[in-house]
Amino acid sequence: MSGTQSSLPAPIARLWEPLRKRSRSKRALLLMAPLLVFELLLFVAPFLILLRISLTGGSSDLRYAEGTWSVDGYVEVFTNGVLLEPIIYSFKLGLAATAITVVVALFYAYAIRRAEGLVKSALLFSVVLPLLTTLVIKTYAFRPLLSPNGTLNDVLLGLNLVSEPIQFAPGTVGVIVGQVYIVLPYAVLAIYSVLSTMDWGLVEAARDLGASRPRSFLEVVVPQAMPGIIVATVISFAWSVGAYAAPGLLGARDQAFAIEVEKRLLSNLQWEIATAYSVVMLVLMLVSVAVLTVALGRFGGEMEYA
Amino acid sequence: MRRETLENALFRAGYLAILTFMLLPLVVVVVTSFAESGNLAFPPESYSLVHYRSFLEETRWMSAFDNSLLVGVGTTVVATTLGVTAAFGHELDDGRAGQLLAPLVLVPLLIPPIILGISMRVYFVRAGLDASYLSIILAHTLWATPLVYFVMRSVFSRFDWQLLDAARDLGAGPIQSFVYAVLPNVKHGIFVGALLAFIVSLQEFVMALFLSSHGTETIPVVAWQALRQSLDPMVSVVSTFLILISIGAIVIATIATNLDWLSKQLS
Repeated sequence: MSGTQSSLPAPIARLWEPLRKRSRSKRALLLMAPLLVFELLLFVAPFLILLRISLTGGSSDLRYAEGTWSVDGYVEVFTNGVLLEPIIYSFKLGLAATAITVVVALFYAYAIRRAEGLVKSALLFSVVLPLLTTLVIKTYAFRPLLSPNGTLNDVLLGLNLVSEPIQFAPGTVGVIVGQVYIVLPYAVLAIYSVLSTMDWGLVEAARDLGASRPRSFLEVVVPQAMPGIIVATVISFAWSVGAYAAPGLLGARDQAFAIEVEKRLLSNLQWEIATAYSVVMLVLMLVSVAVLTVALGRFGGEMEYA
Repeated sequence: MRRETLENALFRAGYLAILTFMLLPLVVVVVTSFAESGNLAFPPESYSLVHYRSFLEETRWMSAFDNSLLVGVGTTVVATTLGVTAAFGHELDDGRAGQLLAPLVLVPLLIPPIILGISMRVYFVRAGLDASYLSIILAHTLWATPLVYFVMRSVFSRFDWQLLDAARDLGAGPIQSFVYAVLPNVKHGIFVGALLAFIVSLQEFVMALFLSSHGTETIPVVAWQALRQSLDPMVSVVSTFLILISIGAIVIATIATNLDWLSKQLS
């Protein structure tokens, strides 16, 4: 490579030399290029087209009215209560599922961290196995458990705790349980991976200094686990707000955003409204994820991959 | 001392309750697959293999199984290639390109799959690729690549880069030095990344729902359609097979690595 240097005309050599020195960095760029091109072609470009369609005046098909510009779709989203309600429902679902998931995941990850031998393996297995099982299937399994004539109601009735069956599913309770079940493994693993590298001596030191177990957990373990907690929160929230499977299989009426947008697309064929709806939802979601991350970041820790 | 025992008992009860919650739906799926009646109840009143027989006679499930496998393998190959090379490049890079790449790769994971499904459907219809295997593979790759990429970044960050420099100094070319110096040290990571990509593809159904046709539908898509109409015990049969495959995958992965390490990589 360097042998060619002398034969190059001086001006070209002057340009070439810095490039040659940075050949390692060029190789790095070359290695990253395929993924970059892939993301631009499969993520950025389709999204720009989606954005463009959302700004056309009326379209019932992919062959939208070329060249037209209009914000009618957005006006419709913000003025039509039928469209706003699912957004609110999805955000409520996201908050509820996230709060439950993160608390349970933190506890469970801590239990796995403390466990040893066979118990530890069993607890880890219980996290990894649902992770590997199809979402549709594990969600639907809650139907026979939570329906009015389902197992849970049988137990409750048998114990005389309730006088008549409660409809957990189809309904909001079912949706939340299903959604928590879907995201819990990811949240547990995110927190566990941080806890597993934690210095256990700190907890013991706190206990030796007289801190109770709950106190040592809250004041030593939780701050240490913060990076994992942030990842768990972001994942749980983003996935729950956009949830489709749990509301579709365990929901009572078509309340969630994802169900509503599908309806608009496939039955009503209102592409400009459906795409505007998606864009609004996406912006709201990303903004709230950012706010959540910053808010949690104040309690310590940094997000690993951001 | 009494307080200590009480705390321990509560703690144990707590994690056992969650353990039950984690495994219960899977138990329900497996048990109901042996139910005799068509209506889904847990526990079933009587048991039989009737749904297994009808499953083996149903060609739709069988072709869905093939489709899932094909899409899964395709996704694994594309996502692993893209993820490993980019993570390797990011590690070599001292500029700003890598810092731009990371969020761009991460963001699709956070976007509701229904929105990705819509935008890609529009896109693929225009490209004349709708309802093809390729469109589903590329969509799944969009989700699988970030996982491979981040697993590999954490693996590469623990790799001793002096080994690569040493190989280069000893006269190995870029490819040779990668194959002999880097690959043996990161192969577990690549394996986990590839496994993750395959699992993601096997599970994902919202994008596949938008992008598949009758000929290319995957197992979760067929299951979803079957379940939206009625609770179908046949779905339990399919799920049982899938759960068995998953257990097989965990066992293989545990032998290849170990469970603790695997679960850390999965996060």
